[in-house]
Amino acid sequence: MPLTLAIHNTNSMEPGNRTELDGTSLRVDIEELRRYLLEDTRLNEVDLEIAGPGDSFRAGYVFDILEPRAKEPGSGPDFPGILGPMAAVGQGTTHVLQGAAVTVLDGGQPGGERGYVSRRGGMFKVLEMSGPASQATPYGSLNHLVVVPHADPGIERHAVLNALRLASVKASVYLARAALGQEPTDTRVLDLESLDLKTRGETGREGLPRVAYIGQVHGHQHGTEADEHIVYGSNTRGMLPVLLHPNEWMDGAVVISYSWGARGLETYFHQNHPIINELYRLHQAGELTFAGAIATVSSDLREELERNSMLAAQLAKWSLGADGVIVTKYAGGAPHSDMFETARLCEELGIKTAILVSDTAPDRRAESSALMSIPGVDALVNVSEGAEISWPAPSVQRVVAGNPEVAAELAALPELPAAILCGVTNNQGASRLQSIIY
Amino acid sequence: MRVVHYLNQFFGGLGGEENADLPPQTQIGAVGPGRLLEQLLGSGSQVVSTVICGDNYAAENLSAVASAVGDAVRDAQADLVIAGPCFQAGRYGTAAGEVCAAVQAQLGVPAVTAMALENPGVDLYREQVYIVDSGPDVSGMQETLATMARLGAKLVNKEPVGRPFDEGYLPQGLLRSEFVVQTAANRLAQMLLAKIKGEPFASEIPTQPAEPVPVPPALTDLSRATVAIVTDGGLVPTGNPDQIPRSFARVWGAYDFAQQETLPPEEYEVAHGGYDNRYVEEDPHRLVPVDVLRELVREGKVGKLHEEFLSTTGNGNPLENSRRMGREMAAKLKEAGVDAVILTST
Repeated sequence: MPLTLAIHNTNSMEPGNRTELDGTSLRVDIEELRRYLLEDTRLNEVDLEIAGPGDSFRAGYVFDILEPRAKEPGSGPDFPGILGPMAAVGQGTTHVLQGAAVTVLDGGQPGGERGYVSRRGGMFKVLEMSGPASQATPYGSLNHLVVVPHADPGIERHAVLNALRLASVKASVYLARAALGQEPTDTRVLDLESLDLKTRGETGREGLPRVAYIGQVHGHQHGTEADEHIVYGSNTRGMLPVLLHPNEWMDGAVVISYSWGARGLETYFHQNHPIINELYRLHQAGELTFAGAIATVSSDLREELERNSMLAAQLAKWSLGADGVIVTKYAGGAPHSDMFETARLCEELGIKTAILVSDTAPDRRAESSALMSIPGVDALVNVSEGAEISWPAPSVQRVVAGNPEVAAELAALPELPAAILCGVTNNQGASRLQSIIY
Repeated sequence: MRVVHYLNQFFGGLGGEENADLPPQTQIGAVGPGRLLEQLLGSGSQVVSTVICGDNYAAENLSAVASAVGDAVRDAQADLVIAGPCFQAGRYGTAAGEVCAAVQAQLGVPAVTAMALENPGVDLYREQVYIVDSGPDVSGMQETLATMARLGAKLVNKEPVGRPFDEGYLPQGLLRSEFVVQTAANRLAQMLLAKIKGEPFASEIPTQPAEPVPVPPALTDLSRATVAIVTDGGLVPTGNPDQIPRSFARVWGAYDFAQQETLPPEEYEVAHGGYDNRYVEEDPHRLVPVDVLRELVREGKVGKLHEEFLSTTGNGNPLENSRRMGREMAAKLKEAGVDAVILTST
């Protein structure tokens, strides 16, 4: 199942009379895009802004960040189950606007929930494009189309969020379609002959360890809405661990759940999944055989935790024949338990594990950093949530927000703590911020 | 650089165990390993004085030893205190740790000591004091003194101190966030490959299991027992009178419900950021089952329900803090004559 990424370097983004990719410059017909997004009658208005690296620009609160991507006609649907019909992705050709991003803001619920104070933990995230803070995140070096949908106040919160999600994928595909028919800057073929059962064993990879990835795509301590999209449009309620081809994972089958402020996960890093990419790299370098990927969810029910952990380990062992797995969690503390249990059961089956934890030790003591400890689950990579890091907030020329209260708040921010900046902390393996024991 | 050196009676040349009760005495200049230390510190530096104390005396009079060293530091106008190396000697290590911690805290003078990882002084003082890894015995003396001199000079010159392994000191157990070159994904793959191949790898978080909690003996007769409800799910009376935070709580509350047959939803809320609060706010008994326990009391299956529940927020809590709150809760319940607790979590 080879997937060809047709990569179009995009070094600038600006408004234009028509949407086109001219060399590495992307011009956007703002009015055409606005009309397209407003076809969703749940939206009353959409604000569209463009911001690039170094711009004196701040936006919040961020609902999600995506990379503009569009499938070559005949290669399958865009974001099946959300935008396109239900059909497999991960094959054919996908056009990628590398260097560009679609950032969608959440303005909350007019007269109600403000989006960032929510039952999902009340975290909020900000996009900052200038100053030292912007250099600490991969998003600071991208050209962003910032989409601010304003929903009809008469619709319910879950419908507002669904409208944000739909707008996010529509804008992403709309932009990338500008690259159809254009010569890409670069092409990258993602192919795992090792997953082809018919040729397995004939690939000359004997003796290499088989390594798989098990990733939580949601944490059900925070439930999901009936119309929430996560895996192929499913809200993942009652989901059992499922084998996804790594290409599907990165090609629009998975988006983040409504984490209300992207708590260290963004769809951008599902599309550019750092762990899947790293395993691909090592596979192609002949250091391991990438055995496949398993998507799972964490649970708030003991039995479900045990069932999902068991099944994920069983799939890794008996369907993927893994010698080792990397296990990651969704954001927060409860998914930790599911991750550890999954790793414990893998070790019990003889599969070596390395897991990704994010320490939240408020007292910054190493003793507090280990939420759990289980013999055998002894290879832990620790990303920091950056509790003690912040940058002075420059006063910026442009502040874009989902509502006036947030705009005022963002304009007056005295400093930018690492925890609120998109892309500094991350649970998908992208983080360079490490908690180091001194 | 002007240095005061601390030694025990053995390394100070005043004898062995038979002289372990010697009180502290101050000698001018370098003594024993201090002479090598002085060389390693380089020209322009000197060990101005050496405080020597018997191990037993020091262990029993920690503050007296610390104040003797403090006096020597003042007299010498010292920039730095070096204590040890103490290797595996426990009394010596504890005294050296205390001496270093005290001069730093009271006089603002930096201090460095050195011990073997197994020395009990390590756990007591590692967070406050730089403890160079001396290895188990005196065969590491020269290397250890060199590391101490290097680290001490950095502290005196207020240069940034690097990571434990690079600088040669034992990890202090304190976390610092730093930007590193490799992403978490790179590090995960490398660590996993090393583990699969049986090569050494270093977990980025200690994986020492927490102490097991012994299971107490079962109650013999529940129908005579007083039962209390304790929760870390954050149920609080509306308005959250104790201001229990939504995570990392350092406080807990005790909430009387003697006047209530059941818990009315409008009188309670949830202060917990780690789960979907809607279902508990709809019906608090889903977390604090007063209704069922009252029934069990009426049926005679449970002797008595303790008429208040204890509550805090359990998510993200440091172990030390959880232990403290647990001890406080247990003491309060014990005093109230509670025999058993139903602990509900989320």
